[in-house]
Amino acid sequence: MSVVHRVRLPVDAVPTVAVGDRVEPAEVLATRRPPGRGRSLPVAEPLFRSAQSAADCIAVQPGTILEEGDLLAADGEGREVRVPQACLLLGYDTYDGTAMIAPLGGAEPILGHVRGEVSALDDESVEVQVAGSLLTGIGGYGGAVHGELRVAVHHPAEELRAASIDVGATGRIVVGGSRASAETLTRARAMGVAGIVLGGVLDRDLRDFETTQARRRDVGGMSGEFAVLVLAGFGKVGLDPALFAWLVAHDGHMASLFGEVGRLYVYDASPPPSRRALPRAGDRVIAHRRPHAGAAGELLRVLDGLHAVPSGLASRCGLVRFEDGLTAIVPLANLEATEPLPGS
Amino acid sequence: MSTPHVQTDLALVIDVGSAWAKAGVIGRVRGRWRLVAHAAQPTSWGAAELRAALLEQLVAADPRLGPEMESHLAKAARIECHTARSGGRVAVVAVSRELSGSAARRGAEAAGWRVSELVTLDDGRTLAERLAVLQAVEVDAWVLAGGFEDGASPRALEAAALVASARRRGGAPVVWAGTAELARGVAAMFEPDATTSVANVRPDPRREDPEPLRAHLQALLRTAVAAEDESHLASISFPRAVGALAATSGLRILGVDLGARSATRVLAEPDGTFASLVHARGGLAGAVALPGAAARIARLAGDAGDDAEVADVLQTLRARPATLPQSHEELSATQAAARLLLTALVDDADTAGGVDLVIGAGRTIACAPQPAQAMRMLLDGVRPLGVTQLAVDPASVLGPLGSLFDDEVREGISLLSDDLLVPLGSAVVCRGGEAGHMALRVTVHRPGWPGQAPIEVRTGQLQVVPLGRGQEAELTIETGRGVSVGAPRRSPRIHATVTGGSVGLVLDARGVPIGLPRRGDDRRAVLAGWRDALAREAAPGAERVA
Repeated sequence: MSVVHRVRLPVDAVPTVAVGDRVEPAEVLATRRPPGRGRSLPVAEPLFRSAQSAADCIAVQPGTILEEGDLLAADGEGREVRVPQACLLLGYDTYDGTAMIAPLGGAEPILGHVRGEVSALDDESVEVQVAGSLLTGIGGYGGAVHGELRVAVHHPAEELRAASIDVGATGRIVVGGSRASAETLTRARAMGVAGIVLGGVLDRDLRDFETTQARRRDVGGMSGEFAVLVLAGFGKVGLDPALFAWLVAHDGHMASLFGEVGRLYVYDASPPPSRRALPRAGDRVIAHRRPHAGAAGELLRVLDGLHAVPSGLASRCGLVRFEDGLTAIVPLANLEATEPLPGS
Repeated sequence: MSTPHVQTDLALVIDVGSAWAKAGVIGRVRGRWRLVAHAAQPTSWGAAELRAALLEQLVAADPRLGPEMESHLAKAARIECHTARSGGRVAVVAVSRELSGSAARRGAEAAGWRVSELVTLDDGRTLAERLAVLQAVEVDAWVLAGGFEDGASPRALEAAALVASARRRGGAPVVWAGTAELARGVAAMFEPDATTSVANVRPDPRREDPEPLRAHLQALLRTAVAAEDESHLASISFPRAVGALAATSGLRILGVDLGARSATRVLAEPDGTFASLVHARGGLAGAVALPGAAARIARLAGDAGDDAEVADVLQTLRARPATLPQSHEELSATQAAARLLLTALVDDADTAGGVDLVIGAGRTIACAPQPAQAMRMLLDGVRPLGVTQLAVDPASVLGPLGSLFDDEVREGISLLSDDLLVPLGSAVVCRGGEAGHMALRVTVHRPGWPGQAPIEVRTGQLQVVPLGRGQEAELTIETGRGVSVGAPRRSPRIHATVTGGSVGLVLDARGVPIGLPRRGDDRRAVLAGWRDALAREAAPGAERVA
């Protein structure tokens, strides 16, 4: 099984790979030169012109990237202004006769954060064919990280506790259960955990954690990326037991996690359990709203006509026997059927 | 026994939203066109399931229709609208977050665009970070803004230069909505024809003018991005239908359609002209992005749980917009979010002079479990000052009807007049007054009913007078000191005719905006009182007060 991961390239990026190359998560796919702090470069003075009239001598448009020694302005009478280093021209100030330039820094790497084979390459993107499976979440935090998967809970509905995060989790992508508090996330970050995959998380915990991280970023001293992926729902929501079993089966596999876009690639993995809208009687289902959020069960039958749920909303409903023994009427819109794994 | 051959005149009205699809069957019943079946389901379930649900209803209503109904339905005329399949994504780059940036953002969102990134020169990021953000973003248009009209700011050109260096040549179009004097300089940074200039969104520090930008972006969205048959876009067809309804009825109508992702507002005049506005992120999924949303919604709902629980509900609305609130608390949070979103949607609507009719559309409002809940969302969200009739479009018929040809829209509205809207009743909303003092004294004259003593409503109170659907009443309204119902007062008494509905006549002296007690217990008690006053079943003639 394989999936394609697309890495977008900025305008001035220089690719360092070619189609057919095998790449690792930490491998550089391209480089770019980011601009540094802007600074003023006198233009009117060396041209012996007024600030206003020197504007007509500017030879390039703002937004242009100039290499060292490129012409910035010329008066047509032999006087020229050239840029002393590679830079981005931001503008010209007609009040003081200076150009605002942002010197370009050294080449910075653009990583793919995935392992695979480069399948396509153009000015705008690099596409990498990833041998593995993709899980998509409903929310997340942070950038791109990679590491080995490590399941740190024993049950899909178990909360990931701070105590479960030890030195063995450093550099890994830790799979939790129904929730992780802001303290747990902070500890995981401090212990060098690459990322966390959860069934659910309280929005408040995620925001508290984000706030803490923003403060730490402001004061400096924070290194490395950290990402969180939420798979099932917001609140205390357990992982689908079938999905949890799949993650347990792939414990130790290499994985790449993209927090903000909610993607988890697991390498050399079998297809994960898939979902389908509109379940039918007899299907194994997952519920998505309180009070059954994250619970799995069997859809015993679809009720005739419309049925009012406790909120008062009337909708098409089904009778579900959940795996904890509870039987409840649930709107079909709140259920997804889980497809059996091939060969199961 | 052979089945009799049944002849039918049918049409299907379909509204395919981003989360839910709604369909109705219009059939001729005893010579009149009526809505004979209606079904709604998550859009992801597909058309076959929706058709099956309609068939089930039709056959249950008349078993003779059974064998042939499927082919009749397949052949029925389809009147359809849908949410834009590809919403436009825009990056806004401006000098100041609070001035040019916020004005440009509002203009873009009001045109139905989703703002993927807002970068300003005072956003605290380094130049490299700004550029990296702009280089990474994938958009269908760039909006640049900055500088006032009294001078050309080099900072505005700097913002433009950022885009020039991040944008690919031949990429998405650029719209300059900053200082007019700089328009030529900005256009020179890009290839020919890449840039369009519109009036400055922030011509001076005290004034915002996002309308020209909004109009341009709305046109751009139709032509360049959502290259679909625009008459079938719900954001176009719903306002057209409301405009036609205003022309047919001679009423000034405010229509609000609160969807899962986006929201549409239309203000239609009695001559049929209308002004509409689409908020790309104004739907329920966007509630989570409102400033301090969870705390405000928890406070506004009173019975939806604490901030943390409400925050989870809002994230669920964003992540799983097609699911339904199962518990009372989740429904309460959803409806409070709807009230907040409606307030934001009508914030800058020109409702001076009042409106005659407010129409609520979208499942959360129009399909609320109780009419009183729909009434409360509209009343609290819109705060229509004066005497106003309120109704909902529970079958989502307005959108599809608006997709018909011009003359057919009015015809369709006339033909379906009995099933088009469900009237909730009327409301008298006032503002001002002193707490505990009389705000409104209303005498209700119902033809054929014995005369009743005037009803006094104190500031902060809400009172419901039973007035059923189709019933009319003459009101004589006297206002207390410092109280206004919007209209200029030429006499101490205001006379108005109102019609009833499933809730009745609401006398609302809670103010504009609604004032709530600071103490949590007091606030919850007040909110519960208002909720109960609207929802209680009252005996005819008995008023419900809170």
